[in-house]
Amino acid sequence: MKKILQHLFLLFLVSGSLAAQEKIEIFGYFESQYMGTIVKSEYYQLFSNKLRFDLKSDLTENITFAANFDYITYHGKKEWNILDFLSPDIVSQVTPGMESFYVLPFSNRTFLDNAYIKLSLKHFDLTVGKQQISLGTGYVWNPMDVFNIKELVDPTYEQPGHNAIRLDVPVGNAYTLTALCSPDDTLKNSAKLIQFKGRISHFDYSLITLEKVWRYHDYTQFDFEKKNFLELPERRRLLGASTAGELFGMGLWAEFAYNWMESTDDFYELVIGTDYTFDFQTYFMVEYYRNTLGKTDHRQYSLNDWMRIFTAEQKTISRDQIYMFIQHPVTDLINLGLQSIYSISDHSLALVPVLNYSFSENIDIMVYLNLNIGKEGTVFSKDMGNGGMLRARIYF
Amino acid sequence: MKRLITGAFIVLLLAPVAFSQELTADEIIQKLNDQINTETSYGKSKMTIVTTSGQKRTFIQESWSKDRGEKNLVRYLEPSRVKDQAVLMLNHADDIWMFFPRTQRVRKLATHAKKQKMQGSDFSYEDMGSGDAFIDDFTSTRLEDEQKKEQDCYKLELTRKQESSSSYSRLVMWVIKENFLPVVIEYYDDNDPTSLLKTMVASDFRVIDGIPTSMKVVMFNQNDNTQTEMELLEVKFNIPLTDDMFTERSLKK
Repeated sequence: MKKILQHLFLLFLVSGSLAAQEKIEIFGYFESQYMGTIVKSEYYQLFSNKLRFDLKSDLTENITFAANFDYITYHGKKEWNILDFLSPDIVSQVTPGMESFYVLPFSNRTFLDNAYIKLSLKHFDLTVGKQQISLGTGYVWNPMDVFNIKELVDPTYEQPGHNAIRLDVPVGNAYTLTALCSPDDTLKNSAKLIQFKGRISHFDYSLITLEKVWRYHDYTQFDFEKKNFLELPERRRLLGASTAGELFGMGLWAEFAYNWMESTDDFYELVIGTDYTFDFQTYFMVEYYRNTLGKTDHRQYSLNDWMRIFTAEQKTISRDQIYMFIQHPVTDLINLGLQSIYSISDHSLALVPVLNYSFSENIDIMVYLNLNIGKEGTVFSKDMGNGGMLRARIYF
Repeated sequence: MKRLITGAFIVLLLAPVAFSQELTADEIIQKLNDQINTETSYGKSKMTIVTTSGQKRTFIQESWSKDRGEKNLVRYLEPSRVKDQAVLMLNHADDIWMFFPRTQRVRKLATHAKKQKMQGSDFSYEDMGSGDAFIDDFTSTRLEDEQKKEQDCYKLELTRKQESSSSYSRLVMWVIKENFLPVVIEYYDDNDPTSLLKTMVASDFRVIDGIPTSMKVVMFNQNDNTQTEMELLEVKFNIPLTDDMFTERSLKK
């Protein structure tokens, strides 16, 4: 304990003059993005510019400080009314006069994405502050991760940081015990998790138990006091497991989580995925995802279901879906790929051709098209819009 | 393809070993294997890729190796695009984990990923792996001795064993008689043993910490008409490294 206190004291002593230190590293990227889409015969476009600064400093041999600042500007169509994407049946559920409440704004933002200190001693790592929390082995969906929802078209895109205190205790060289607390308004409402990760033969395993208050909303009722839709906080307890390894030469991963809900129905999520690289360098991946919170027929989708998807409160609206990805390096600088997401429950399909071009050592260009092929009311309905995106990222 | 190129370059060692012209192919490969696998090593290296359009891409990386190449950790320092990305390879690269710093996510890769190009270079993860692949994955045959790159060499043909998961059907290798280091290795197509895919040429041999080492390796890709150079900037052999260095915890540092 004395040693820990010494380290913490030293940290506070040094952090004040952090900027003046020579060993602080500053890097990051600038990202310019153009998105266009056709919705009901109208072509809309949205531009964004993102500047991200990463700071990292090893204050001592055992203490690291890291932070990220993001500044994002939006241009073009900065307000999107979700009702424009929905079928008349769903729109009719909206209380007359409240249509303007269903607008998603894209406002310029400046924020501290991550900022944490990490104390690494022989027997444990302690990380305090706003940090990335990545849980599970799934590529697109992570049943064990109640903190993040990945982007379907780019699941590797960075996630927002979460304020948390995290303790990682290695148990031998192959096992790790993790305890994490993400504070909320009260200790009781704070998210708490314990995870045990290990390795047996060529497979990684993990077991997790966590509790978190899930703050989703009822998008049919408005809370005029809070000037937002009515919040429906509900305690969620989760028990999950995951694995990743190899079977018959193919990559294999699986993730499962059962959720006990305080007042609504319990549900479970399951992911099974596999991948393979052929000798001619083509890479193929397929991932199946089931979420029993999702509906089995598109006629069961409600306004709340749609809104929770658009606001990233919920991972999916349909129960069963499958993601496929195939990519091939057509030259040493260009990768061509095709992502497809098929909803088994409502028989709709999204096709996302992707091109990645390594323009120079520190400049990447990504182009993708987004083609929704599904009948009205389905998750990948044509009404969701067909379009694409061009993204250029310059690292410094 | 062995630890020929551990973490960033080639760690080829040699002690002045008495040899005989009567050495068999297996004996030569065993001596080579013994030479290139030190107990532990650290290296800082520069990888330069020359693309099809003639552009150059430069990567700086650090690597650590332990247990004669059974454990490897590679961490990228430059360029900014890949800064702090890291790869952990255990069990002679049969277990691979990649760490992505922006998401703090560690992804376990299956052995098929060894076929993938490392950072778009002409080295695959398999090439960067280590340990006893020359012995475990191939059967060696000695061919007629030849001069190669002005060195007196043993010439060997290594044919993939049936149970091997190597991406190469066979290798042809020229091993310097004086120090048992490979100076040229030809890599042949997985399905067509007559189709040459890549050629590795080692040069700038020096003795570091008493261990003969190749400071530069160039991989020529005959199919894509590209090449990648690995240059050793700093190297240390037989340094104290613990197993803690080769864990997910260390990968995320």
